[in-house]
Amino acid sequence: MAATAQDSQAPLRGPEKKDEDREDETEFSPFYGIDKGAVLQEARVFNDPQIDPRRCQQVITKLLYLLNQGEVFTKKEAAEVFFGVTKLFQKQDINLRRMMYLCIKDICPGADEVIIVTSSLMKDMNSKTDLYRSNSVRVLCKIIDSQLLAQIERYLKQAIVDKSPVVASAALVSALHLLGNNAEIVKRWINEVQEAAQNKNNMVQFHAVALLHALRASDRLAISKLVSSLTKASVKSPLAQCLLVRYVAQVIQDSQPGAGGEQRPFYEFLESCLRHKAEVVIFEAARAICNLRDVTARELTPAITVLQLFLSSSKPVLRFAAVRTLNKVAMTHPLAVTHCNIDMESLISDQNRSIATLAITTLLKTGSESSVEKLLKQIGSFMSDIADDFKIVVVEAIRSLCLKFPAKQRALMNFLSGVLREEGGFEYKKAIVQSILVLIQEIPDAKETGLGHLCEFIEDCEFTYLSTQVLHLLGQEGPKTKEPSKYIRYIYNRIILENATVRAAAVSALANFGAACEPLRPRIIVLLRRALSDNDDEVRDRATLHLEQLEGKAGGPDAVQPRLDVNLVAMEKALADYLAVGTDKPFDISVVPKAPPPARAAGSGALGMPGASSTSGGGALPAASATRKDPTAEYAEMLRSIPQLAPLGEVFKSCEPVRLTEEDTEYAIFCVKHVFEGHIVFQFNCTNTIAEQVLEDVSVAMDLADAGDFEEAFTIPLDTMPLNGVGQCYTVVTRPPGAIATGKIVNILKFKVKEIDPGTGEAEEEGYDDEYVLEDLEVSPADYVKPTLLSNFRKSWEELDPSTEKEDEYGLGVREGLQEAVEAVIGILGMQPCEGSEAVPPNARSHTVLLAGIFVGYQQVLVRMSSGIDAANNVAMKLVVRAESLELSEAVHQIIQDA
Amino acid sequence: MPPTSGILAWFTSWLDWLRSLFFKREMELSLVGLNKGGKSTLVQVLTTGQYTEDTIPTVGFNMRKMTKGGVTIKMWDLGGQQRFRNLWERYCRGVQAIVFVVDAADLDNVPMAQRELHSLLEKPSLKSIPLLVLGNKNDLPGALGVQQLTDALNLKALTDREVCIYSISCKRQNNIDVTLEWLTKHAKS
Repeated sequence: MAATAQDSQAPLRGPEKKDEDREDETEFSPFYGIDKGAVLQEARVFNDPQIDPRRCQQVITKLLYLLNQGEVFTKKEAAEVFFGVTKLFQKQDINLRRMMYLCIKDICPGADEVIIVTSSLMKDMNSKTDLYRSNSVRVLCKIIDSQLLAQIERYLKQAIVDKSPVVASAALVSALHLLGNNAEIVKRWINEVQEAAQNKNNMVQFHAVALLHALRASDRLAISKLVSSLTKASVKSPLAQCLLVRYVAQVIQDSQPGAGGEQRPFYEFLESCLRHKAEVVIFEAARAICNLRDVTARELTPAITVLQLFLSSSKPVLRFAAVRTLNKVAMTHPLAVTHCNIDMESLISDQNRSIATLAITTLLKTGSESSVEKLLKQIGSFMSDIADDFKIVVVEAIRSLCLKFPAKQRALMNFLSGVLREEGGFEYKKAIVQSILVLIQEIPDAKETGLGHLCEFIEDCEFTYLSTQVLHLLGQEGPKTKEPSKYIRYIYNRIILENATVRAAAVSALANFGAACEPLRPRIIVLLRRALSDNDDEVRDRATLHLEQLEGKAGGPDAVQPRLDVNLVAMEKALADYLAVGTDKPFDISVVPKAPPPARAAGSGALGMPGASSTSGGGALPAASATRKDPTAEYAEMLRSIPQLAPLGEVFKSCEPVRLTEEDTEYAIFCVKHVFEGHIVFQFNCTNTIAEQVLEDVSVAMDLADAGDFEEAFTIPLDTMPLNGVGQCYTVVTRPPGAIATGKIVNILKFKVKEIDPGTGEAEEEGYDDEYVLEDLEVSPADYVKPTLLSNFRKSWEELDPSTEKEDEYGLGVREGLQEAVEAVIGILGMQPCEGSEAVPPNARSHTVLLAGIFVGYQQVLVRMSSGIDAANNVAMKLVVRAESLELSEAVHQIIQDA
Repeated sequence: MPPTSGILAWFTSWLDWLRSLFFKREMELSLVGLNKGGKSTLVQVLTTGQYTEDTIPTVGFNMRKMTKGGVTIKMWDLGGQQRFRNLWERYCRGVQAIVFVVDAADLDNVPMAQRELHSLLEKPSLKSIPLLVLGNKNDLPGALGVQQLTDALNLKALTDREVCIYSISCKRQNNIDVTLEWLTKHAKS
């Protein structure tokens, strides 16, 4: 018995030794260049009546090597190998059996074939050999289904508390994997797992703690209990202790912050871990403390102290871990890190460049104004030694430092221009140019020097993208400087020396100078004339146009920099449509929707920015919802341009387009609903996809039988449905002013068909009338509401009459999580979340969202939506609505009921 | 493990090896048939001489080796459940005999046994491998006899190989000896 145990341990030690060997002779893999076909031939030895275990092991090793090199086995080849391997179960050879387990796990054919080894594995699971027991448990758990699992459950329970740590660990890890599909069964083993958590062996304890946590992962209260019991028990394994620290950090993260000054739960535990024997635990605890939400300087101090000790450790990994954590802390608590500055300064010359870079950037963040020059000098000494990725980190750190100490901009700008001149890849150069651009914009004093540096940069720049960007900036900013003339030479040099793209950009930049600076204009005109003989069309075209403009024609000098206030996306689409139709009519720019006023975009950006930088998880969401595009503004201009629709007044809301035809049918019809005070305009975007037909006089007839409150007013037909382009026809219905009229509408597309004669390509004279039934269209209360931003939800809520309040509860069924459910409801209601309430805190079990919207007629509606989620991810929600009338409150509930 | 039994085991294996030097005879066979036909029980009876009542269903296969009368017999005892039946063929390739065990008293399932047997033997890789059909459980009332089974399984249609049929009972140890005799006769020398 003792002998067998020894045997099974020996192979486990094998790989470590191999690792040492590998360092010396990585070049000489014994398998280098083996061929799949030949190895598969060799694999036939598995079927020999007399099995040679040694030979078989070698073949399996080769097969596994091929698999790990990314070689793909066909289904047939894999099956052949697999069944061959199963025949080796007749041999009781420990080393061969271990290779067989690996092979079965890795090659693993279809589920219906792999079950053939079940019985053999079950036999091994009850073997006396530890190696058989542990490995068969791992393989078995990988291939088993829940029905069979129930049958072998008791063996697995035994294995968890097995005397041999190898077996116990194998069973615990397998249970972790099984948890995904067979949670109910694994939960029954809790007593055994708890026993294993007290195991003296470090590895077993580590796995048991991980499993205990995974078993309770969905229940926050149970996790909290588990963690508090584990922190009191003695967890000896350092790795298990690390896990525990992470779990504790999670519990602290999830718990509501205590009322002012109250000590966090478990903080003492984390602090005690800072005095642990194992470095890994100390670091984990220090990191956990540094990452605490709203951590105070007092809480940070002990963690920073141990990290400081690590900074002067002889182990590079500890230095790296410490400096990386401190780097992160420096972003939020630069003062707390300043104690470490002396240690960090010595790390600047660390052999490991990653450590040095992190040290530098940390120092840049914490450094005082006086130390900037010294640091820059130190960075300069090793800048050429580090990889581009780290250089970018340094450049970004310098940019933020420059914004922090604008007085030092000269030194920092000089540094940036210095590194700009050195060798480097595109991403690196781009980072530098971007930094200079930001600094020019943010710090007025830096503008002149910055532009000067950029001018020098483009003298010798190999990246077209960056050159054009700089030239554009020079065109914008150059004329506003004190001495615009000094930039002309740099720009004109580009026209002589560079490729066509850069030349074109340079022509435009020059023209800007000419337009903005009267005194320079004659000289610019002379320079531009020289570009007229350029061999590139675009350069010549630009030069010609700008010359005309500067000479007072084609809109005059002001037109050199046209201010396009159209929506660029819509403009592109309109132009594409225009080209597709191929008419002789000039393009009419007035049909293109105007761009939304830039002030609003900047506002939402400013709102989104601080959120995104402080809490990366939750902050990204408001930014995303702020950029949700508002179709109404785009359409409003378009509707205004149609004379028949003008008397209807201002459009209140335009809905998202709805498809009314199946995909790949002859006609593609989309409908956009525009809600007006007393009307609804249905805009039908029509596309013909059949080249053999011309469709004329297109309109949509509506059957309003199921929508009693509507009355058809008039239609605006479309002359011809464009082939593969988009044309619009409109149907207008009236409804009582301000009413929330709803219903289902049946639509019929009516048109006149003219066949195209394939011989001549001309449409026939005579056509015939035809109809096409479209999908039904629903008008719901949601069409009448649009989001509105409120600064003070509570105040607005109390201003509304409480008698209009209406409350109801809804079950939302099983959802992925609360956040997903909340987003779905916000999407359905189409209202604006207020006060950032749409971001559900991670792992929250309940949450309240505040929503604001206005209904047609500019009537306000406010919603408090409280939702909760249970352990099975069932979401329930309570909706309380107040509005300017009870009818509106009911309409909101109607939206949810319809969804 | 007491040392004496270790020595004993070693001694018997040495004896087997010695014997195999003189009579180098061995055979490999596959046991197939519908589930609950008595394959694993038969293996048990053949190897140990003991009949056990509650055998658990075989999930996959069991490999057993036995030595009888100078012949080493390797037996692949395959699971009979539906999902294993199309895998039988892989373990029947290259064996010296296919043993098909059928529950002679389970009349309802005999037609299915007939279908499975014939579809297995159709495979070209198993051409001309001798077949031994065992009608198990002949101790039960209403069990089919040799003649009835021959007809029910349509054995006359199998002309391209040696076919033999015995009516046996593992429980009563009926005809186990003739089965063993047939097997040793087919060992390759």
